[in-house]
Amino acid sequence: MRWATRSGVHIDRAACAWLIRRFIDPQAQFVFVADPARTPGDATGFDMRGVDLSHHTGPDGAVDCSFETILRRHDLADPVLWRIAEIVHEADVDDERYDAPEAPGLDVILRGMSMTCDDQRIIELTGPIFDGLYEYHRRAMLLGREPA
Amino acid sequence: MAETGPLHDRHDSPGAAVRTRAVLSESCNHGYTRIVVSEPDTGTWVLLCYRLPREPSTPRITVWRKLKRLGVAQLADGLVTLPADARTREQLEWIAEEIIEAGGEASTWLAHPTSADQERTLATRMADTRAGEYAAVTAEAATAAAGSDRERQRTGERLRAELRRIGRRDYFPPPQRDAAQAAVRALLEADPDEESTAEAAGQVQP
Repeated sequence: MRWATRSGVHIDRAACAWLIRRFIDPQAQFVFVADPARTPGDATGFDMRGVDLSHHTGPDGAVDCSFETILRRHDLADPVLWRIAEIVHEADVDDERYDAPEAPGLDVILRGMSMTCDDQRIIELTGPIFDGLYEYHRRAMLLGREPA
Repeated sequence: MAETGPLHDRHDSPGAAVRTRAVLSESCNHGYTRIVVSEPDTGTWVLLCYRLPREPSTPRITVWRKLKRLGVAQLADGLVTLPADARTREQLEWIAEEIIEAGGEASTWLAHPTSADQERTLATRMADTRAGEYAAVTAEAATAAAGSDRERQRTGERLRAELRRIGRRDYFPPPQRDAAQAAVRALLEADPDEESTAEAAGQVQP
């Protein structure tokens, strides 16, 4: 399946692409568009204005980032993914809704990569980073403390 | 989405901008003149123009808090701006989306001040606001400096986080920044004994 998002990938889009490929569509292909109106007809858009898989304000007034929206829409209840969602949320929205000390570091890494890599490359390189983040928090949850 | 046609592209790549301009000047110019198109020697700013119903007041307050946190300069009622970069543009676009979801109206724009003077005035105003925030941090640090080691440490950590927040919305750093950073650093330079004890207590290595 084809998935489309805005070019100039940052944390939320990189995390969404990883989430989609790992948990929703292993064969996912990503298209990056400068203008949401240019989204190919057969592609599912995410993290851009005017599509469902994007930022949304909840009934309590709190905003979900696109990563959180995808988790909700696809009924992904894995607590490790929700822990990663907190990190992505803080790195992206930065509203101190969650305590996620990893967020500022991840934000800087992604901002730096956007200066040195193109979008496809960022998606390639951040995949293993999110894999690692997932494994770390999976073990942390099982152990009830920081692993290794 | 149809209204975000080729004109919208002007902002996304210089190539598209040149192409669009060429098309505009060759055929119908849609009201643009060459004079309007000539670029002033100022930076690009992203503007958010919005209107939100007075009631309920919660979305209005939430939006205003977010804008304040981003350090926007207010140009008029319902019109705020930031120097444009990928991050500021995206942040204002998301807030626009939020305003629309809350039943309001919002649009985002990229613009140049037509004179360097206007831009300077705007930048000075923003720097002054940040200067006030830095001065408040310096004052708080001065008060805490007289307290116990523990109090100095705790206030120091809180102010360090506050400095980080101010830094994120500081687009034109004023001289007061250095003083605030130095004051917070001084607070956190606790005596070495205490620091090593804290380290030993905090780190439980297997």
